[in-house]
Amino acid sequence: MPLIRRGPPGPAGETPASPDAARQDLLSGDPLVRRRGVRSLGDGPEAVPTLMEALRREGDPAVREAIFTALAALPEAAEPLASLLRSQDAGLRNGAIEALQALPGRARSLLPGLLADRDADVRLLSAEIARGLPAAEATALLCGLLERENDVNVCTTAVEILAEIGTPDAVPVLRGLPRRFPGAPIVAFAVDVATKRIAGAQN
Amino acid sequence: MPADKPDQPGSPDIRIADHEFRRFRDFLYRRTGIVFGDAQRAYVERRLADRILAAGSRGFSEHFARLLVEPDELERLISAFTVNETYFYREDYQLRCLTSTLLDRITARKRRGQPIRLWSVPCSTGEEPYSIAIWLLENWPHVDSWDIEIVGSDIDVQALKTAQDGVYSERSLMRLSRPLVAKYFTALDDGRYRIDEALRGSVQFSQVNIIDQGDTGLWRDMDVIFCRNVLIYFDDMARRTAANNLYDSLTPGGYICLGHTESMSRISPLFHVCRFPEAIVYQKPGEGGHD
Repeated sequence: MPLIRRGPPGPAGETPASPDAARQDLLSGDPLVRRRGVRSLGDGPEAVPTLMEALRREGDPAVREAIFTALAALPEAAEPLASLLRSQDAGLRNGAIEALQALPGRARSLLPGLLADRDADVRLLSAEIARGLPAAEATALLCGLLERENDVNVCTTAVEILAEIGTPDAVPVLRGLPRRFPGAPIVAFAVDVATKRIAGAQN
Repeated sequence: MPADKPDQPGSPDIRIADHEFRRFRDFLYRRTGIVFGDAQRAYVERRLADRILAAGSRGFSEHFARLLVEPDELERLISAFTVNETYFYREDYQLRCLTSTLLDRITARKRRGQPIRLWSVPCSTGEEPYSIAIWLLENWPHVDSWDIEIVGSDIDVQALKTAQDGVYSERSLMRLSRPLVAKYFTALDDGRYRIDEALRGSVQFSQVNIIDQGDTGLWRDMDVIFCRNVLIYFDDMARRTAANNLYDSLTPGGYICLGHTESMSRISPLFHVCRFPEAIVYQKPGEGGHD
């Protein structure tokens, strides 16, 4: 019989490294060792500063993924993750959005501030985070944003998200939006699509 | 607090209140990664009430307290929520892909004497790892030239016991031809079939929770992982954790096969998508490069 039975895993199986050893691993030149370091660091809130520091210097996608997955399990990471929305690195920004969507409890408390940020890019990315909240809550937040928002890109992003997850409560705010952007036909187009989709979802 | 009346109660004596349902749901998620929404409340309540009665507990609170200190009852409870009927040669297009493409690529970068390692997780009651073994013996011409290790793992200890016993109903064998059943099984007096002793001895079974890094960390250097029809029951975070764990268990260049309705691309950016004529599989980057 060519099929052979593998022995049970024993001491040869991987044993978790100590936190100190894990921190040393994070400084290795080998991405496999750095990834092991991330996964050995533990899942307590004390790991957040070390993981954030490692994330800022990490270039390997597999190590970054391990760091973001670890952070997305730690509610204490929400605020540091939100700071990455200002990063010039698209990978960091997108990773932060996904991780924050996995932390709706903490993201919820940060979103009102983020959606009112003076940086339009932060407001736009924060609208994506709201997509992960329950529909009624996301609708309220995004409608609040639309009522005061002057940036056309932020508005169209919020409208597109409402087209997917918005409730009928969004319709009055949506209908009023094109009047504020007479020079941007894309807004009227996006609003038309969104209101039809929301109405369709109700039928 | 008065208990809510479930849609279809498992027992007239057992009621699960809203806050108890939420507490139990969160507990089950942390232990298994399986997500139950409000829409599945009646399903969850029926199974939970059955366990409460079978274990002799007087109600939810007592039973929940027992779950925290009685590993055997926890195992039985997990078993009640993870029973997944399967059968031999299910999704056999992936087995065809294994022997027509994947194994050639895997052996091309292996030295003679290095084993080929295949992992079925979760393996439920063993039909999948035994199917892999039978398929290889029947369809891979190089099967005698390589050492092949097959591991079957599941979170459900009761399912693993069934797998190790290797006794199956006629229904489990419905996709196998009569000659294959005659070749690899012995008919028992009760109408069921016992799998060949040598096959039974060739598969290593073990308890593994795929969202537990400590469990999956014990299994490394896998060439192909079959992880079918389980991630669909997980939420985004548990899926991502499982993907990271499976990535670390694969050898560089190794493959992962998911169920036909599942897509790793929506879960994790860690893997390359490989579109072969028989199946789409996902590859860990590394040695040998992207196929």
